[in-house]
Amino acid sequence: MKIYLALTVASLKMYFRNKQGLFWALFFPLLIMIIFGIMNFDGYNAPEVGVHDAAKNDASRALIQALRGGDNKVLDVSTGTNEEIQHDLKFSGSRAAIIIPENYGVPGELTVIEVTYDQRFMQERSVVSTVIGQATDALFKEFAEVPNEFRVENSISIDESFIEGHGQGFKAWLIPGIAAMAIMQTGLFTVVFTLVRFKSQGVLRRLKATPIGASHFLAGQLTTKAIVVVLQTYVLVIVGAIVLGVSVGNGRIGAWFDLTILALLGGALFIAMGLAVSGWAKNEETAAPIANIISMPMMFLSGVFFPLSVMPDWLTKWSQYLPLTYLADGMRAITVEGASITTLGSELLGLGIWIIIVFVIATKMFRWE
Amino acid sequence: MATSPDTVIVAKDLRKKYDDITAVNGISFEVNRGEVFGMLGPNGAGKTTTIEILEGMRDADSGDAIINGINVREDANAVKAIIGVQLQQNAFFDNLKLAEIVDLYARLYRAKVDPVEILSRVGLDHRKNSKYAELSGGQKQRLSIAVALVNDPVVLFLDEPTTGLDPQARRQLWALVKKIQADGSTIMLTTHYMEEAEELCDRIAVVENGEIIALDTPDALIDQLLATGFKPEKRVREATLDDVFLNLTGRDLRD
Repeated sequence: MKIYLALTVASLKMYFRNKQGLFWALFFPLLIMIIFGIMNFDGYNAPEVGVHDAAKNDASRALIQALRGGDNKVLDVSTGTNEEIQHDLKFSGSRAAIIIPENYGVPGELTVIEVTYDQRFMQERSVVSTVIGQATDALFKEFAEVPNEFRVENSISIDESFIEGHGQGFKAWLIPGIAAMAIMQTGLFTVVFTLVRFKSQGVLRRLKATPIGASHFLAGQLTTKAIVVVLQTYVLVIVGAIVLGVSVGNGRIGAWFDLTILALLGGALFIAMGLAVSGWAKNEETAAPIANIISMPMMFLSGVFFPLSVMPDWLTKWSQYLPLTYLADGMRAITVEGASITTLGSELLGLGIWIIIVFVIATKMFRWE
Repeated sequence: MATSPDTVIVAKDLRKKYDDITAVNGISFEVNRGEVFGMLGPNGAGKTTTIEILEGMRDADSGDAIINGINVREDANAVKAIIGVQLQQNAFFDNLKLAEIVDLYARLYRAKVDPVEILSRVGLDHRKNSKYAELSGGQKQRLSIAVALVNDPVVLFLDEPTTGLDPQARRQLWALVKKIQADGSTIMLTTHYMEEAEELCDRIAVVENGEIIALDTPDALIDQLLATGFKPEKRVREATLDDVFLNLTGRDLRD
């Protein structure tokens, strides 16, 4: 135990003295976060709205289609239960929650479409109400085959209400994704580079000549990386939240505990990946490209910089299973939506399965010399 | 083979094959307490493989290696705990200070030492706050000897300790080895420098193709050669080119 502690302390010292490593672990992700945050890509995407379709008939489907728009996406429409769309409006990026009542499209009935807006986004409100107005108008006439002169003006009405949402847009969305990416980079690259260097220089061999062997050293190294991954996540989320002016986990203190667990799970996964790569690579020249081949696709396909929804479906069909996607989604649910880790079933399952797969590969691949 | 209590290293018919290359082909010898024992031979003769078997770093295919009464095959860690090791390719953590490296290795042996005192034994106490990467070649070798001394070893193994060093650094290392021997340690070293073997070793084993082809004191080996009627090709002069170099550049270390 004392030996393990001594080795952990020594490798922590080594880590924090390595300025290059600190740059990649902290300053680089912060830089990306701030640059993307300032560019604020919110304006480039169609505003998100949630629809709860209680009618589920041709008329309601046509209305949803109208809201979606044609080739030019007017609104980014997602459908769900009433609770889901209200939650998204309150905590995620959704700008409006639209409830299509059960009797929508039934001739002669007075139907009321309830729309709740996030009052901070009045521009989106005018888009939504215009589209609904036009769509219902046209659709009702067509569907009910009522001649113009008999149309009842108020057979469909829109009941508008407003709430103050907590959704914080792209800036808040960006932070947990970048923090997740940084966990991947630290786990993968620092493990690969230190171990491959120690291996090729003969440091590990020298440790093998001591009575404790090199496995203690490995344990100390991995503990160090786990500590670094957690600290780094705190720093990135705190500094990101301050600089970009967003709140974390809707102020829930437990969010930090949940984040720590996720950071450790992600750390374990990517550290094991680093072990597998450093077992395979003979020297630093071969290790770097392998680590990049693994991390690059995840960086761009796991929804770190942009939401997966902007990518084509054939791609997201696969990329949703990437380890970084699970980690980024989980961390985002905690920091942005204020979710508790206990509600993150699919993310935890996905991470768990990946951890098992990668650990099996790592134990098969790792070599001391 | 009866071994006296003064025998610290026993190698009994050691054999080691890598694929189809026989690196060690039946090597046997004994090293007495307090002795400096040298293993000489060209590159690839099997010196390093032999020494690494004795250190518990490699398993022999057959034969026994016994250090201070402990069979390496039976308890390699017990052997590692009582020996000091300088590998041919030694490297330490480049982001640690020398005192931290010595302290860390002392902890690995559960030894309580004053890192600065250990560093002063190899003349590196003034560099205690330097990082490993900042050291010269000679200093790195001396640090690796310092690290090998943290557990007050019964036997010190030095694998080519002066390869790649300049004449000044080499001489300083020789002085260090003699000092360590005077302090009561047994030392086994490998080298392919003959003047080094002659300077340091009480006995030498000449290794070729994985076998010991001669084993005696340096003087006895030279006498045996002269007895065959051997004459050196060149007339022996009173000084060597080494002396010329040291006379021109001085004996001071360049660290």
